Amino acid sequence: MQTEQHFSASGIPIKDIYTPEDTKDLDYDKDLGIAGEPPFTRGPYTTMYRGQVWTIRRLSGFNTPEESNKLYRQEYELGQTGFSVAPDITTSVGVDADDPMVEYEIGHSGLPLNSIEDVETAFEGLPIDKVSTYLAERGPITAMYFAVAEKRGIDLKQLRGTTAGCMLSWACLNIPLQPPPRGYLRYGVDFIEWCSEVAPRWNPINHDSYNPRDLGLNAFEELGLLFAAAIDFIEEEKRRGRVPLDRFVRRFSFNTAAHNDFFEEIAKIRAARRIWYKIVTDRYGIQDPNCAKFRVHVQSSGSTHTAQEPYNNLIRIAYQTLAAVLGGAQSIHANGYDEAVCLPTDQSMLLSIRTEQIAALETGVTNTIDPLGGSYYVESLTNELEERTWEYIKMIEDMGGMAQAMQDGWYHRLLREKPIERQQKVDSGEIPIVGVNTFRFEKEPYKVPIFKPDPATSREIQAEKLRKFREKRDKAKHAEAMKRLVEACNSDENVYPYVFEAVKVGATFGEVSKAQVDVYGEWPYPIGL
Amino acid sequence: MDKDKRKIRILVAKPGTDSHYKGAELLCQILRNAGMEVIYTGRYQTSEMIVNAAIAEDVDVVALSSLAWSQKAYYTEVARMLKERGAGDICVVGGGIIAESDKPALLAAGVTGLYGPGTPYQEMIDHIVQRVKKDRWHEN
Repeated sequence: MQTEQHFSASGIPIKDIYTPEDTKDLDYDKDLGIAGEPPFTRGPYTTMYRGQVWTIRRLSGFNTPEESNKLYRQEYELGQTGFSVAPDITTSVGVDADDPMVEYEIGHSGLPLNSIEDVETAFEGLPIDKVSTYLAERGPITAMYFAVAEKRGIDLKQLRGTTAGCMLSWACLNIPLQPPPRGYLRYGVDFIEWCSEVAPRWNPINHDSYNPRDLGLNAFEELGLLFAAAIDFIEEEKRRGRVPLDRFVRRFSFNTAAHNDFFEEIAKIRAARRIWYKIVTDRYGIQDPNCAKFRVHVQSSGSTHTAQEPYNNLIRIAYQTLAAVLGGAQSIHANGYDEAVCLPTDQSMLLSIRTEQIAALETGVTNTIDPLGGSYYVESLTNELEERTWEYIKMIEDMGGMAQAMQDGWYHRLLREKPIERQQKVDSGEIPIVGVNTFRFEKEPYKVPIFKPDPATSREIQAEKLRKFREKRDKAKHAEAMKRLVEACNSDENVYPYVFEAVKVGATFGEVSKAQVDVYGEWPYPIGL
Repeated sequence: MDKDKRKIRILVAKPGTDSHYKGAELLCQILRNAGMEVIYTGRYQTSEMIVNAAIAEDVDVVALSSLAWSQKAYYTEVARMLKERGAGDICVVGGGIIAESDKPALLAAGVTGLYGPGTPYQEMIDHIVQRVKKDRWHEN
């Protein structure tokens, strides 16, 4: 029997039906094993969700630290089990709220975090000694967070959380005023070294392929980028030789998207675990299996959400969440259904937390570990994706590694082609999107509530706070700390002990960021139109 | 006759810190394919930078792109500053996810074309051509 040829979203030919023939080369102990045992294909932990379900962690924040603090409290009360903090677009650029450039955008797409005081405000009353926090930034705000934790009497050695710090995401977001890839890599590796000493339970890097995936890359291209970037970081530390590699990679964490092709996404997460195990163990000879555990946060894929008939996104998000669960993710962000229209409303935030809770508590999918392990189809897809990912990694390494491929413009050219390719497939109907290119209404059948932040007010509040903050700080101490930070940036020394000292005496994120970037200069957009 | 036809000059600009640049890039390609001469400012522009570039380049159109909700502030500011500088005949259009509640103020400020996700390209091109012919080239 042969019906019309089908392909997975990444172009893997899919058969009518899978049989033992398709998995006959699998060696159970070598290729799968039980969860918590190498090569960790079935899960990084022995008990997985039977011991503890994934962390429910929505990336959020808006307007001001004060209002975001209320939001985080609300999320916690609704049963969210991890915090996830999105700095606003002005903070991400690395300018402070009183900079004339950012007049209209304070509190947009996140919250402004300009100083240690803002971080303190954002986390006031939140149990950060018990609940882990994700910070979508590259280091200095985490230094502020550590200082706040210390002030609250929390032992940094016990503090749990994650700093984004990912090269892939930052470069494809094309954020202004950022250093070139080699500068980014340098500060990223500095940060990992520093954390491995002062906060050994903190995940100092979250290699993140979510954004490039959302720009149209497929599942194995996503993994290829992810691991090529992780390898770059390890190679940089290998070159430096300051920290033993096992300590350096022990807390590496990862972040992927959950896209539409249900089984392929499950297979992707399973394949990723096996690949990471092989990179750490076979390639770098690191013996401690704890260093080879691929721990991953998965977020439903925003690019699959549509502005047309936004409630359809609820269904997409639920399937994608289920794929993340069946893949064995450690932490999940189910998006707000209104993401294509606005920042989430209270109602959509509630629904996204409920989506995860229903999956965890009502569907029964957490009853056993890796329930799809042994499926002829899923195992076969897992193998296929692994193989294609290795090829993709090799291709990037042949270009000199991820940072070099970025520097040379390859990455940006890729990110230019992919969305157009995908859009053409959508336009032609090859990729069906319900309510958009198929079953589309002439007129939108309904409207959804819209949330709007208030950037003008936020700017006023934030700029005024910052003015007072700058006035209040000990100017001599601040100047001295900044001087030492700039010196460190200009040397080969690890800059983070100096960042830590500087933020404690009132250095703002904008000031620290400028010191870091000035050494290298702003990285211009690497390709022409 | 058609071959000698004047080409529309258009400045595509990204105001503010918003780094969602895919829309702007795509727009540049679409407008080029439609036979227009496209100048792209790149990211991280103030209204003043955009207006300066528009006047220096003597463009017919300024197309603004932002996915941040600073659209109302920036787009109206650019339109106002162009008028103040005696360049009110330059057509201003804007793209992004624009809130319905912002649209009246934008239109009133002279941002005559507003394009959200899923807008057919031709709709935007037709609007630009029509406005340039009328306001800039004084045809018809």
